[in-house]
Amino acid sequence: MQGNEQGLVDISITLNGREQKVAVPADMSALKLIREVLGLKGTKEGCSIGECGACTILVDRQAVNACLVFAPQLDGKDVQTIEGLNREPRFQALQQAFLDRHAVQCGFCTPGLLISVYALLLEEPCPDRDEVIRSIAGNLCRCTGYHQILSGVDRAINPDAEWRPDVG
Amino acid sequence: MSGKQYYRPGNLEQCLDFLAENGRESVLLAGGTDVMVDMRAGEIDKSWIVDISRLPELWGIELQNGKLWIGAAVTLTELLNSKLLQEHGFALHTAALHFAARQIRNVATIGGNVAHCSPSADTLPPLLVHEAEALLAGPCARRRIPVGEVAAGTYRSALEPRELIIGFELRPRSPFLADFQKIGRRRELVIARVNMAGLADMDEDQRMTGVRFALGSCTPVPRRFADVEALLEGSRPGRELFWEAGRLAAENMIRMSGRRPSFVYKEKAVQGLVYRMFSPLLEA
Ligand code: FES
Ligand code: FES
Repeated sequence: MQGNEQGLVDISITLNGREQKVAVPADMSALKLIREVLGLKGTKEGCSIGECGACTILVDRQAVNACLVFAPQLDGKDVQTIEGLNREPRFQALQQAFLDRHAVQCGFCTPGLLISVYALLLEEPCPDRDEVIRSIAGNLCRCTGYHQILSGVDRAINPDAEWRPDVG
Repeated sequence: MSGKQYYRPGNLEQCLDFLAENGRESVLLAGGTDVMVDMRAGEIDKSWIVDISRLPELWGIELQNGKLWIGAAVTLTELLNSKLLQEHGFALHTAALHFAARQIRNVATIGGNVAHCSPSADTLPPLLVHEAEALLAGPCARRRIPVGEVAAGTYRSALEPRELIIGFELRPRSPFLADFQKIGRRRELVIARVNMAGLADMDEDQRMTGVRFALGSCTPVPRRFADVEALLEGSRPGRELFWEAGRLAAENMIRMSGRRPSFVYKEKAVQGLVYRMFSPLLEA
């Protein structure tokens, strides 16, 4: 495939369950497409170089950094952002667990973190703590602290989980 | 508008035809994680972005004709999930385990990691110890070169603009010791400051055989160190021997790269890491 007459690339994606066609510049990032063209601001822009994970989205059910993916690469793919995941009961349970364990302070890192954890849970419903830590190693939080975040994940996996102050 | 254009060939032949005409003005995109950062920093100034990630010729991990084939568009996550790799290329599997973060592993490819020619590419030391060859396709012919020759220098490729890497052939090995080690500033998601891979078997006389050692991040291009391998080959594991091997590796690094401020740290780090990597053999 190649660009159209205006030099834009016609792509078609399934965004949060709805098929969508859009024409994008060749070098636009998926993050810019999602936030600025499609107007979905739940996906955050932190570093823009793949270090903070604030821009994490699901592409074909895998977590990726939207800031490192070119928009044309999304052509034909299934893309999910926080706006779509918000409607899924399992995702809502994860959000509630984060709230219950005070894992959200300013909230800037939260969409990315939730999606990273959710991607892990899709593959492995009962991960151990090491797997959880590895899955969120690419997500930085500069205010809550990781104790609460890990505790939130614990609670999502097992609602009766005790508060565990130790972090691996 | 940036004036950049995107092209995604449907198969290798289309891709080669395109590169034959436009190779000089093209940047190849596999996962794109490095291309995106370089492009935004203004370090890539090409008019065509050629997306090779969907070329079926660049996929798959297979054992064939006694070699382990890894397609250039295989992602780090796919490396990590491969049983074949775990069995026949454990050092590379370990490198994949420590590669960046999950969001990046899901996208970044082994071909891209090699083609980017970064001195600290994590897949390079394991590929080197497995004596990997890169298979290249160009307009007229295919050729194969040792993986260590893909980079002509730091961030400088030896490939022609009309060529691309389609995959790698490794010598499969499942030795007694196969490992990858790395030091960076943070546990995950770091650019290695020192990385290395090693392989070694033990014979019935408790001597090391088939020793391979490669160091990355410390010389302009990652490479195997023949004298370190020779020192260990045929000897019995020993603390002093491993310490000496580490010293030799550090000495090589300084000889090849000249003294640099960072070497005050790296000299010790290389030595310690070599020791740590081979030390499981002490209990063999
Ligand atoms: S904005 Fe994408 S990783 Fe930071
Ligand atoms: S809650 Fe503020 S960055 Fe994590």
